[in-house]
Amino acid sequence: MYIQNMEELVLELKEKIIEVLNLEDVRPDDIDSDAPLFGTGLGLDSIDALELIVMMERVYGIKIKDPSVGKDIFKSVNTMAEFVSKNRTK
Amino acid sequence: MKIRHEVLITPERAVVDGKPIPVTTHGIDMLTELYRTRINDYPRFFKMDELCRLGFVASELLLQAAGDRHADSEDRAVVMFNSSGSVCNDRKYQATLQQPDGFFPSPSLFVYTLPNIVTGEIAIRNGYHGETAFYVLDKKSSALIDNALRATFCDETTQSILGGWLDCEAPDDFLAELYLIEK
Amino acid sequence: MVCKIADNIFSPLGFTTEENYQHVRQGCSGVRRHEGWRGLPYPFAASLFDWNRVQLVDGFTPFESIVIRSVEGALAQTDVDAASPSVLFVLSTTKGNVDLLEAPSPASAMQRLPLGAAAQVVASYFGNPNMPVVVSNACISGLNAQIVAMRALQCGSYDTVVVVGADVLSRFIVSGFGSFKALAAEPCRPFDIERFGLNLGEAAATIIYRRAEAGSWHAVRGAIRNDAHHVSNPSPKGEGCYRALRYVMQGQSAGDIAFIGTHGTSTLYNDEMESAAIDRAGLLAVPVNSLKGYYGHTMGAAGVLETVLSMRALDDGIVLGTKGFATMGVSHPLNVSASHRTTDKRAFVKLLSGFGGCNAAMLFKKGGMA
Repeated sequence: MYIQNMEELVLELKEKIIEVLNLEDVRPDDIDSDAPLFGTGLGLDSIDALELIVMMERVYGIKIKDPSVGKDIFKSVNTMAEFVSKNRTK
Repeated sequence: MKIRHEVLITPERAVVDGKPIPVTTHGIDMLTELYRTRINDYPRFFKMDELCRLGFVASELLLQAAGDRHADSEDRAVVMFNSSGSVCNDRKYQATLQQPDGFFPSPSLFVYTLPNIVTGEIAIRNGYHGETAFYVLDKKSSALIDNALRATFCDETTQSILGGWLDCEAPDDFLAELYLIEK
Repeated sequence: MVCKIADNIFSPLGFTTEENYQHVRQGCSGVRRHEGWRGLPYPFAASLFDWNRVQLVDGFTPFESIVIRSVEGALAQTDVDAASPSVLFVLSTTKGNVDLLEAPSPASAMQRLPLGAAAQVVASYFGNPNMPVVVSNACISGLNAQIVAMRALQCGSYDTVVVVGADVLSRFIVSGFGSFKALAAEPCRPFDIERFGLNLGEAAATIIYRRAEAGSWHAVRGAIRNDAHHVSNPSPKGEGCYRALRYVMQGQSAGDIAFIGTHGTSTLYNDEMESAAIDRAGLLAVPVNSLKGYYGHTMGAAGVLETVLSMRALDDGIVLGTKGFATMGVSHPLNVSASHRTTDKRAFVKLLSGFGGCNAAMLFKKGGMA
């Protein structure tokens, strides 16, 4: 069991997103936890989605084989946090 | 063919149409400084590898000198040459295959393991639908480059070329000599 | 006119154009499933050399060896003096000797990592005094290189151009496509409703062009256009592909075209994009094919290999079938068939697309037509 306070996890995810996606001028406070990450919002694209898939495996031990599943998982930081806390192996 | 504008960028300086641009840093930091002070409206810059940052900054300075991007056109070709390909980024990508915590290949790094991506970045920024190409030579040869640029005008649609030498061997070892050339 | 005087395909399906063509006619494919290849943690399907069968050239890397063997194969059909200053070598490759990064290599070997250096040792092997040009324009390099050849011949600076395209696989390349989740572990299915990714492949192919009054095959027109959309995804409307196609089809009748040899990599995006571009160009009725089911995606070799094979097939009045296709799976209904078809037409268009948003199209004609 990996117990991590949701608030802490959300902040950690924001920091990781900024780091792995090279969002140079974005601070964690700038990211609304409920806002869409793709399309509008941060305007992430398909390569960013693939990098987030790598991050999921590397940091939380979760393997996502099918990138189209990513659309739901990466909808917002909150949906990511929920997914991570349910599926993490690290 | 006529050269309308030119830009030179080395790790120490940036010169546009013979006029140096004042900078306070050098190497890869200088490219970031040039981006921040002269461009600063394209956050994608920070996703680019060194070769792309070099080409992006050099092309932006060139287009600023021209005063007109000639955006959304099909008659401008983007043609670059170098001798080190994408080696700087290739090494970074290779390293992601053998990290201390395992095998985690990075898709965003893999994209930049092709030197022609910089021509794509310039095309996206400006809406250039014309020819984009990248050639690698064993050594910098003005004769070969000149011939190849001239030959690019064989495409009847092409009226101008944004092109030249764009090489990045290491983060602090690079050279850009780009020209805006008209038929 | 820019005429082909010789060609070669050096691949897992054979070391001559003829061997390759006969295998493809019989429906053979070099694509196999590979598990645990070079320690990679997932299976993938690819067409790989059996290196025990390849005669490596002493002192040259595997990549350089297949380039040399392919060029030798083509040169042997001609009276070209490769050491002449009027002969230019143009090499099309995406990653050349990048496998040198995989294992500790001596400094002398690492000198061959830059593509220009690898091309230079090959040109020197043949005694050619000119600095060779390497085209590194992602997967369209093989057509880009032929366009360079056309221009070099038309401008009069050379009278013969040897165009060779090649790539070998490595952990570097396979893992890269893997990180894009673009690889299929089974044989690919271009344009099919159930397509799910591409196969990779290794090969070398050569085409030698000369300026002449007439010849068996002419390179008529070529164009490269950019999508200006995204660095890795193709433009959904096929913008660059359409514009390149439009340029080469200027003044041509669709009815004269035996087929369009597509890129047809069997990815969801690429095949859909090409169908959009072909529709926009008003060419939906023209037969199309993809050769990726026989060879996989051979990257730097693709543009040359697929051109040579297409020419050989059309010499027999054949439009090669699209191996792996069964049910239409793109929204613009292309005229595609899994089986070989016959034709009496004498021209074809080759298309390719690549990372960086680049797209290329070339028009080739058989016999003495301008």
